[in-house]
Amino acid sequence: MTGDPAKAQEAFQSTLRAAAAKTAEGEPPPDRLWFFRDARWQSLIASESGLQPEPGTVDETELNELGAKQVRQLSPEQLAIWISGAPEPQRGALAAYYLDEFTLRELQSLLELKPNELAMLIDSGRRQFQAWLDVTTPVESEED
Amino acid sequence: MSVFRLSKRERVLTRCAPISDKADTDRRMRAAVLHARRDRTAAKEFQCQQAFDQAIAALVRDIPVSGEIAEWFRNEKLIPQQKRSLKKLLRNPVVLSIATAMAVIAGVLVFIVIERMHEFPGSGTARKLLTIASSTRVGQLDAIQTDAGALNDFFFLKYRLEHYDVPAEFAQFRTVGARVFDDDEGHRVAQIGVPEKRMQFFLFPAERNPKDATIREFSGWKFVEQEGWTGAVRESAGVCFMAALRGEKKDLAPYLSKSER
Repeated sequence: MTGDPAKAQEAFQSTLRAAAAKTAEGEPPPDRLWFFRDARWQSLIASESGLQPEPGTVDETELNELGAKQVRQLSPEQLAIWISGAPEPQRGALAAYYLDEFTLRELQSLLELKPNELAMLIDSGRRQFQAWLDVTTPVESEED
Repeated sequence: MSVFRLSKRERVLTRCAPISDKADTDRRMRAAVLHARRDRTAAKEFQCQQAFDQAIAALVRDIPVSGEIAEWFRNEKLIPQQKRSLKKLLRNPVVLSIATAMAVIAGVLVFIVIERMHEFPGSGTARKLLTIASSTRVGQLDAIQTDAGALNDFFFLKYRLEHYDVPAEFAQFRTVGARVFDDDEGHRVAQIGVPEKRMQFFLFPAERNPKDATIREFSGWKFVEQEGWTGAVRESAGVCFMAALRGEKKDLAPYLSKSER
């Protein structure tokens, strides 16, 4: 979400402090979604300073059969940097979706998005990521 | 045309389809995923999307977590575990089904135990005779007007039935008729009608142990009930005597000697 480990840690600790404060007041966080929701907001606050990406400035291309192979050639850090470079709310949608932790209903609740908005953001993110992979991580087709 | 054609709404849903199988995925999403996998045109595209998403999710799982953060999750219970309330547990269909089945089994067992408590050697025959008593008319009996206690000689002399004696409690009742017949097991049964509360007396052989043919004795009066009739049964010298009337156990009780009840 932040593209910076220090900022991510700061966001994480802010969430923990907020959870501890709520618990001390006798109102502990109701469920795990609270943590993810708060961490998302803390990440947005932490990444407010600095350059902000603008929507609609990245090329898109159709997914192809080699896409999965291209992804496997990346390091987790490269992926994290790419996602953190996406504009909000697409960044939050991609981060939450690829955690592979939530159902559609939970994603909607977490991101405060409608199903078609969420689908559009994720689908668009996939195409942009594929376009970026085609440029940065080209692989030869097995038929070639 | 394929029956698994994707609708526009399902196409939207498949764009954010779960990357791995989740137990709590809702029905609409499951249907959309199934249709996407079976749709001729969309299947390849969807397969490509799933492979792409799974590769990214695998990469996300490999993102290193700092030692400090990992320590937090090891030592702290950050997310409160929701305890399942008893009410919620009882509403679970599985628990409900098991509880119902257990209750039915327990009910059947209790019923069998209660039935067994009232069982005694010859109780089966006694019940059958109560059914006969309920359908017998006075005209079906041979007209014999005497004291019930005097009929033992009649049974012995005419039918060679030994020990077919009416107990002292019922010996003084005047009879209106009597007969001897074979029951469905070939046992000789004596039936006596008396005007007192339209009672009927039965005398039949006591039950025998099938292994060694010894008489299965029991002491005192035992009661059986069948189709609104009640019988008080007593065994003596290998012969059972039953006094039967339409009514309940309490209607028979005054006639029985208190010490043997």
